[in-house]
Amino acid sequence: MAGLFTIDFTTALLFGAVTAGIPLLLAGLGEQISEKAGVLNIGIEGMMLFGAYTGFLVAFKSGSIWLGFLGGAGGGAAVALLMAIFCVWLGMNQIVIGIALTLGAEGLTALLHHFQFSRTYPRLDSIETLPLPLISEIPVLGRALFDHHPLVYLAVLLAFFLVWLFRRTYIGLNLQAAGDKPAALDAAGVDVYVTRTCAVLATGALAGIGGAYLANVGAGLFLPFMTNGAGFIGIVLAMLARGQPLWVLLGATLFGVSLALTTALQVAGLNIPTDVVQMLPFAMVMVVLVLFARHSYLPPALGLPYVRGER
Amino acid sequence: MSRLRTLSALTLGAVLGLAVTAQAGEIKSIAILVPEQGTDYGWNQQGVDAARTVAEKFGLEFLPAEGLGYGDVRPTLRELAEEGASLMIAHASGYNTAAPEIAAETGTPVAIVDRPDDMKAGLVADYTLSGHEGAYLAGIMAAKMTQTGTVGIVVSGEPPSWNSQSAGFALGAKAENPGIDIVYAVIGPAAYADAAGGRRVTESVISAGADIVFGQGNGSSFGMIQAVETTKATNGGKAWFIDVIGDKSELDKGHLLSSVLWDMVPVYSAMVEDIKADTFGSRGYKISLADDSVRLLQTPHIPDDVWADLMKTRDDIVGGSVAIDEITDAQEVRALMTSVEAAE
Repeated sequence: MAGLFTIDFTTALLFGAVTAGIPLLLAGLGEQISEKAGVLNIGIEGMMLFGAYTGFLVAFKSGSIWLGFLGGAGGGAAVALLMAIFCVWLGMNQIVIGIALTLGAEGLTALLHHFQFSRTYPRLDSIETLPLPLISEIPVLGRALFDHHPLVYLAVLLAFFLVWLFRRTYIGLNLQAAGDKPAALDAAGVDVYVTRTCAVLATGALAGIGGAYLANVGAGLFLPFMTNGAGFIGIVLAMLARGQPLWVLLGATLFGVSLALTTALQVAGLNIPTDVVQMLPFAMVMVVLVLFARHSYLPPALGLPYVRGER
Repeated sequence: MSRLRTLSALTLGAVLGLAVTAQAGEIKSIAILVPEQGTDYGWNQQGVDAARTVAEKFGLEFLPAEGLGYGDVRPTLRELAEEGASLMIAHASGYNTAAPEIAAETGTPVAIVDRPDDMKAGLVADYTLSGHEGAYLAGIMAAKMTQTGTVGIVVSGEPPSWNSQSAGFALGAKAENPGIDIVYAVIGPAAYADAAGGRRVTESVISAGADIVFGQGNGSSFGMIQAVETTKATNGGKAWFIDVIGDKSELDKGHLLSSVLWDMVPVYSAMVEDIKADTFGSRGYKISLADDSVRLLQTPHIPDDVWADLMKTRDDIVGGSVAIDEITDAQEVRALMTSVEAAE
């Protein structure tokens, strides 16, 4: 086994772990914002997928990866706007609408891909990375962890920013009140509908950026259904992390590392059923978060539409 | 009165008899259901193109249903049956539970993959295809051309068709060079559209020493191609990709070494003939080097002497002097692979 873990191989594994974990981190953090405000956002898979499409389209047409991420945020937010209209303003069932939006995004992006890219399958060139001074020179870990696209660092910082936002600001307080006791927030003069709408849009934008990262950096191209359930894994991470952004960061990291480990075990020639190896990421994340993140809680009004004046 | 009744019964019997006789061998349309669009330069496209060709060949109406995803296709199958499809080709292993059910419900014959034990006379036929003979040639070629002494196999799932090709590739590589290292990795459970996963795993396989990657992945193949285009081999040289089923030459940026090409026209033609002869569901269908329904794509990157050797081996296989086992069990496939550790 030791012969397998050369510098090149180990670096590639860890680099891949980070690349695989970032879309999950963005989706999970986005979901957490929605859940904090009381909206169970099942449509996040569709938001990611649409963000992947718009993100790739903009990056491919403009040649700018940053504009691509902006396009991804816009695409995800556009799907999220539908979620806000149907679930926040019209009070429709959040699970049903979320599933419908995901199915709709799958169909629409497959159709758009068919007309635009299915004869040429355009691919982006390699993405420029930003090696962090000094620490990126550390053998193996430096290249694997500290030589990525700047969005990776921003995504990690976002988790810490959300901790501060949730705990130390009125915005965080309002989000929490919208999920805990929306009537109290309303009585305090803060519009619950606007608060929840902003939360859902932020979720969509983050999920869209996650999708754009998956398409532009992870794959270098867009394909129908390419999110492959990443949005749903983001929901699981957010649910298990129960309101704690740093637990989402840990969960996404664990998931990425476990994915890398599954590749390592297979390449090492371990002759056990692949299905068993492939379960590893899911099992590891669930075990760790269930064991250590039990003291957090989910908002009491999660999934419930708010109707002013109704008790 | 009695004579009239007898005459009526005879007439009715004759009409029914004629109707049944006509129905037995009649085929007016052919439908195919595929999970992704038929423009993927792979499994979906080869299926759709072949079904279209067969429809034109036999003068049948062509009913394609593309991009259905990997979920429940029962509503689509029912709809196609109601539209009068004479044969429905359920072109995905994920459809092989639903399709026989709808065949029994509607009486419309279906063709499924990866379930040879589920055949039913007149209703269900299996076409579990295997390009293992072509993959064997690809393995020989990879062993001849590798500069690092390590080749890789990346797959997005472990259906029987792909297992047999993974095994064929490994057997071919070992036949050419018994000391060769083969690294094998599955992207994920049914990760057929996971292009990012395909790229990530392929980059790891290249970093483990492989400079030629044999990839089987549907949509995720594009991620594998992206990986070989953007990752250098561990010796600093170029990484190469060997594809399966379709021909992606027109998308190539100089890294496509070859492809194990499949032609499903003979298979679908045989299905139509069997329906006409009322023998549908009595046998499975195969592809092989012998009728060129499996062949290796020749690209300018393959040296002439290597190609000549490959063609000689092909002739030996067709002639029967070289036999290649069709191994479909995932556990047996993994047992064929040589880990880096084991080679030390």
